[in-house]
Amino acid sequence: MVNITTWARVKSPWVLHFNSGACNGCDIEVVALLTPKYDVERFGIKLEPSPRHADVLLTTGCVTEQCAERLRRIYEQMPQPKFVVAIGACACSGGVFAGNYSVVGGVDKVIPVDAYIPGCPPRPEAIIDGVVKLLNSIQQPKTKEKAKSDDEQ
Amino acid sequence: MTSNNLDILKALEAKNFQIQIGKLGTAAIQAPVGKHRDALKILLDLDEKTAVTAITGIDLGASVGVYYHVRTSNSFVTIQCEVPKDKPTLATITDLVPGAAFHELEVTDLLGVVFEGHPNPGRLVLPDTWPEGVYPLRKDVKINEVKLNTPSSEDVKLSDGSGLVKIVIGPHHPALLEPEKFAVLVDGETVKKVEPRIGYVHRGVEKASESKTYLQDVYLVERICGICNSCHATAFVEAVEKILKTDVPPRAKYIRTIILELNRLHSHLLTLGHAGLEIGYETLFQYFWRDREPIMDLTEMITGNRVISSSLTVGGVRRDIKEADIPKIKATLTELRKKIPFYKQMYENEPSIRMRMQKVGVLAREDALKLCVVGPVARGSGVDIDVRKDEPYEAYGEIPFKEVVYTAGDTWARMNVRMDEVEESINIIEYALDHLPSGAYRVKVPRVVPPGEAVNRVEAPRGELFYYVKSNGTAFPERVKVRTPTFANIPAFLKTAIGESIADVPPNFVSLDPCFSCTDR
Repeated sequence: MVNITTWARVKSPWVLHFNSGACNGCDIEVVALLTPKYDVERFGIKLEPSPRHADVLLTTGCVTEQCAERLRRIYEQMPQPKFVVAIGACACSGGVFAGNYSVVGGVDKVIPVDAYIPGCPPRPEAIIDGVVKLLNSIQQPKTKEKAKSDDEQ
Repeated sequence: MTSNNLDILKALEAKNFQIQIGKLGTAAIQAPVGKHRDALKILLDLDEKTAVTAITGIDLGASVGVYYHVRTSNSFVTIQCEVPKDKPTLATITDLVPGAAFHELEVTDLLGVVFEGHPNPGRLVLPDTWPEGVYPLRKDVKINEVKLNTPSSEDVKLSDGSGLVKIVIGPHHPALLEPEKFAVLVDGETVKKVEPRIGYVHRGVEKASESKTYLQDVYLVERICGICNSCHATAFVEAVEKILKTDVPPRAKYIRTIILELNRLHSHLLTLGHAGLEIGYETLFQYFWRDREPIMDLTEMITGNRVISSSLTVGGVRRDIKEADIPKIKATLTELRKKIPFYKQMYENEPSIRMRMQKVGVLAREDALKLCVVGPVARGSGVDIDVRKDEPYEAYGEIPFKEVVYTAGDTWARMNVRMDEVEESINIIEYALDHLPSGAYRVKVPRVVPPGEAVNRVEAPRGELFYYVKSNGTAFPERVKVRTPTFANIPAFLKTAIGESIADVPPNFVSLDPCFSCTDR
């Protein structure tokens, strides 16, 4: 049974996109993924509007003070097991905005991150590569320690 | 430098206003406290197209400067006021210019100037947790020692007893690509009021730019908006070049123009597609984005990056256009041009587009003038303002192109302005490639920027983008003020949504081409 659910998850992950303070540069590249040239639907990846149905959270941008609480809430609404991909330099570390008065920092300051895709913005190919690497890694079920630390967050 | 209309300056001089021509790269009018309204009234009476482009607040030590940047149909002036820091109050101008409401709130947020008589005061861009009485752009604030309040959970009341139902769109919503909150109050299906809460993407760029060097700031301001990044870079480097009094070589001007127009092309194609998505016409969205990809490839070929190009610098551009690339660029543009008639007849004849867009979000010409809207939103309502024509920068003065104006003022007209501008942009790039001057593409500029200040305007894809840069002679700028087009256009949505069906909110909203990372900075 576990094998079947993992297989389904890897073959068709539903992703949710949340911008927590990005400049739109990464966002338009995420949208470009869904359009004919890159078309990630061939990997079964589907953009899902609701966090309650999503397996993977694609986050872009640094986390602003005003968005931090909303990002945490969206993460909490996602069902287990859940995965977070930080797209772009800002989501990874805060980027050029790190240290500003209304910026918390990278996404990992607020929620646990499973994959980092650096770049300003990363090319669509890099994002596909990152997501595919994440999918390969979740074929192995999460270790107990990882699941525990995620629950504590 | 702006060719200022002398009649305007004479009328102001007759009322005993001190005028300094050439200051800030335009003309600065000194107004004692309380007199700024009089100066503005004179300008409003002289020209129907008078509008407030931006209000800059600046910490001047003992006082706070409030600069009203005003555009008329053929000039651009700044009305300068100073208010004492211990009692920073000033009369509002929102009764004269309703479009200035957001500008005043922003100055209140960041510098603590209170505008007496403002219709709905409140927080605009700062986070909810920001403490009262701390103003980030004041120089004496120790920003690292500011203690934020603990976040309180939002209590959204779906009804306030008046019979209206509150529908909250955002901060996370499938129709919004960016986090921002709009509470729409509806009576049945009809929208009665829209309450915006912006500031979710506020990253404090204006403050951050004061602690970075001019060259670092070029990279910072590009990242205000990933879509129109070259416009931000152009606006900033031009302002710095005005302070430095540097002349950019002609080849650099043409290359900048090409990069700016590629920016406009990809941004307009993006919006035209996004509008398809919002009216439930996903095929149109996929088609437009398919045809946008070659433009991204061109941007990459010319600048080295698909999205954030980082190709502009003070004194020119960082990369030349290779002779061998020119035929490739032209071939791609020819391919795109062939597809335009198809899209045009789609917008003309497709019943689903006409039903969802025509007579939706109608903004009358008078309202467009009053609300100081810019760009395709203004041009869709018959207001012919375009910085490329009104105050040509880079190579736009030498390149013939048509200013696209529609008069219907609805969503459909705004989208058609963009549709026609796609064609004009292709013309501009082709002309620029044919007439590309030879010579250097970059000049060396002094490392130290002398004390001075300058204002600068650029026509971004979404409209007039405004920058004010003040240098104090050190390595870091004293103040960088950015007023982005969406910031000026949001009042148009708040007005046009009222009285329409809730289902018309998405197409109406997307017709502004909203960009919140620009708006909040």
